[in-house]
Amino acid sequence: MRILFSILLIVFSIQKGGAQNKPLKIGESAPAIALPAVNGDTLSLSSLKGKLVLIDFWATWCSPCVEEQPVLKSIYEKFGNKVKEGKFEILGVSLDKSKDNWQKGIDQLQITWPQISDLKFWKSPVAKDYGIEGLPFNVIINEKGKIVAINLHGKALETFISNYLKKM
Amino acid sequence: MKHLIVLLSAFVIFSGSLSAQEKQEPWKNSQLLAPKVLADKITKNQTADVLILCVGPDAVIKGSVDLGAAHDAENLVKLKDYLKDVPKDKEVVIYCGCCPFAKCPNVRPAFTVLNEMGFRNARLLDLPKNIKVDWLDKNYPSND
Repeated sequence: MRILFSILLIVFSIQKGGAQNKPLKIGESAPAIALPAVNGDTLSLSSLKGKLVLIDFWATWCSPCVEEQPVLKSIYEKFGNKVKEGKFEILGVSLDKSKDNWQKGIDQLQITWPQISDLKFWKSPVAKDYGIEGLPFNVIINEKGKIVAINLHGKALETFISNYLKKM
Repeated sequence: MKHLIVLLSAFVIFSGSLSAQEKQEPWKNSQLLAPKVLADKITKNQTADVLILCVGPDAVIKGSVDLGAAHDAENLVKLKDYLKDVPKDKEVVIYCGCCPFAKCPNVRPAFTVLNEMGFRNARLLDLPKNIKVDWLDKNYPSND
């Protein structure tokens, strides 16, 4: 009886632990994402296969995320020729709740790269799939859909993208 | 004796810096409410005397009232309006959960309203990281 109780306790603990995030690892396949864009059309991460993709998890309610958007904009412009050649893309995944705020944020910040969101705030399943514990957060995936960098910001982010694109 | 003086001085400096830290915020440390305490109350249906107000992007906590992000002046008016008929001794718990307190634009204006309106049992839900890590990931009761 005691053994049975111990087993049940262990199983229960494992199940409770399962609710927590599994941290991402470099080299793993990126978890699938397929969410609506502002116009309602679904955009999937798999449709960007063949490109180096910077997935930027952000929200208009997150001030550091908003402050980072001009940095991303300059990266997007700097590597604009690679975007045209189909070798690089940024995918914005918003954890906003309000569609109005999301749309206004995109307009005000003049974001031109693809944006998607399920408008579920921290309840979004992608937040759990990617083990996000705070924003801003980003992941870079290569042309094969494998994770090559996690949570780089500022100069380190730009340098990584630049070096990677040179090899492609 | 020398040791006693050193110890006393350290205590005075330490307690002084603590109260200075508290003074920077509209709430006192004693007004922070641990998520588990609130979660247990909700699970045991013991929230009849508690008003749980969301002042952030989304009312994730079960039974909480969504008043919108308090950094928005319109939502702050909504909060004042909502509270005007609430007894001043009612336990009012506010939460946001977008980000750590240091970066949150909502909890300070909302808690200041509670203070200005004279709520004697105002509490702030202590979410050190955010509502996902400190509530949802712990499987505490949420609005589905």
